[in-house]
Amino acid sequence: MQDKAAEEFFALLARGEFRTTRCRGCGETHYPPRVVCPACLGEDMEWVDLPREGTLVAFTQQRDAMRCRRPEVLGLVELEGIGNVFTRIDAPLEDLRIGTRVAFDTWTSPDGVVLHQFRPRS
Amino acid sequence: METAREVYIAGVAMTDIGWHEEDPHEMGARVCAEAMRDAGLLPSQVEGLISTPHGYMADTRKMVTQRMADYLGMECGLMLDVDSGGNSTSVAVHVARDRIREGRIGSCLVFAAQREAPPNRIKEDILGHFHLIKAANSLYDSYQAAFGVISPLPFYAMAVQRYMHIHSVSPEDIAYVAVLLREHALKHPQAAYREPLTLEEVMESSYVSPPIRRLECSEMHDGAAAVLLVGEELARGSPRAVRIAGMAEAHDPTSFVPYRGEISRFPCVGRAARAALEESGHALGDVDVAEVYGAFAGMEPMMYEELGFFAPGEAPSAVREGRTTHGGEVLINPSGGRLSLGHPAYVTPLLEFTEVVRQLRGEAGERQRPSARVGLVHTEQGFINGSIVAVLERKGA
Ligand SMILES: [Zn+2]
Repeated sequence: MQDKAAEEFFALLARGEFRTTRCRGCGETHYPPRVVCPACLGEDMEWVDLPREGTLVAFTQQRDAMRCRRPEVLGLVELEGIGNVFTRIDAPLEDLRIGTRVAFDTWTSPDGVVLHQFRPRS
Repeated sequence: METAREVYIAGVAMTDIGWHEEDPHEMGARVCAEAMRDAGLLPSQVEGLISTPHGYMADTRKMVTQRMADYLGMECGLMLDVDSGGNSTSVAVHVARDRIREGRIGSCLVFAAQREAPPNRIKEDILGHFHLIKAANSLYDSYQAAFGVISPLPFYAMAVQRYMHIHSVSPEDIAYVAVLLREHALKHPQAAYREPLTLEEVMESSYVSPPIRRLECSEMHDGAAAVLLVGEELARGSPRAVRIAGMAEAHDPTSFVPYRGEISRFPCVGRAARAALEESGHALGDVDVAEVYGAFAGMEPMMYEELGFFAPGEAPSAVREGRTTHGGEVLINPSGGRLSLGHPAYVTPLLEFTEVVRQLRGEAGERQRPSARVGLVHTEQGFINGSIVAVLERKGA
């Protein structure tokens, strides 16, 4: 069971598109995407591209979890002007530093769900 | 306008914390009875009853409160089943206090009884417990849940990582918090952990989500507790009653990991603390003893700082210098805290109230802070997305 905005977000992601909602009424961009604008309370949304580069704010490794069958590195990436995105990180934990510039990619989980991941820019 | 009535805690009770086989309803009935005996009141004198679900990883029953009212024969003017995560029973105390202040009821019993599906049983039978694992995952929004998160552990790990990074805090400083909390718990006969713990043991325990190590985590436990609140009339003639001198609640517009801003800061904590202290007429420096809700060793110093006990980045050295233990300027988490007293989350706020009430009554045994007069309780929900702070005062203080 997933909300409508998330269903659309992950459907776009499966096509390699990394997008979120912007309010047509007031121009506010939100992350995560939503069906109601908290700034003007309007309900008229359009989908816009998110930045595909950001800064690594924090990272860790998750041992036990659904979906991930081995320890996955997870992190928080700050997209300028948008905010923090909780995401998979495609790099060994020991190679990562707070403040590293990272770039977007998609990742297909063992159960076939397309999610986003970021990796340090080479 | 009529002046608000004073509200007191007249009775407290808790079970041992650990893994229990007892039915949560019966465990709840026993602590309710014990809290009423402690206050010298009968069920016919109790006018409100509030409780919570029986656990997170448990096939919980709904409407546990009316069942208890029936069982104990209470004719209530307030009945509520609360589910606000870790803050649940502290929200309950807050609501009960307001209703008593308004004069709508003269007393209210808040209780929680938690019995979880033990982790080893879940691991042995993943499929049989899959609905509970899915339920745990559904706590998080779609953009956090998609990555399979089933506990807030990775979020706390990232907050601790940033805190250590920003303030150059060493891993040993964080590990020492767990050691000290265990030292406190050794003096608590009802604590879940009663074996000494060394710094080496903490530092050698494996990472569960770096930088958080296994022995720096609180574990989910079973247990029950009850707190009985009364108005002035019932508190009269009871020298052991402890006054709730101030209480406040504050929430940030976040749910688990914040999408904006610094994730190692928790502004709701300070807002709740300042408001509760202001209402109480006390300064933070007056607080002799505090129970603080830190679910991980690294979160403890952050909470001490957000409450205002120490400047940002200074709590870890304060802890190592003995300033938060027996003989220090403020005794924090004498119960052993969430890490070593044990952490049945729905029950936890009531365990914190129980400890501070026992301290202010002078009934805390070996872990008593001499002549404690003012106490503070801090609770939180989610990823410290919301906080409640209460300032308690010994009668006649
Ligand atoms: Zn808008």
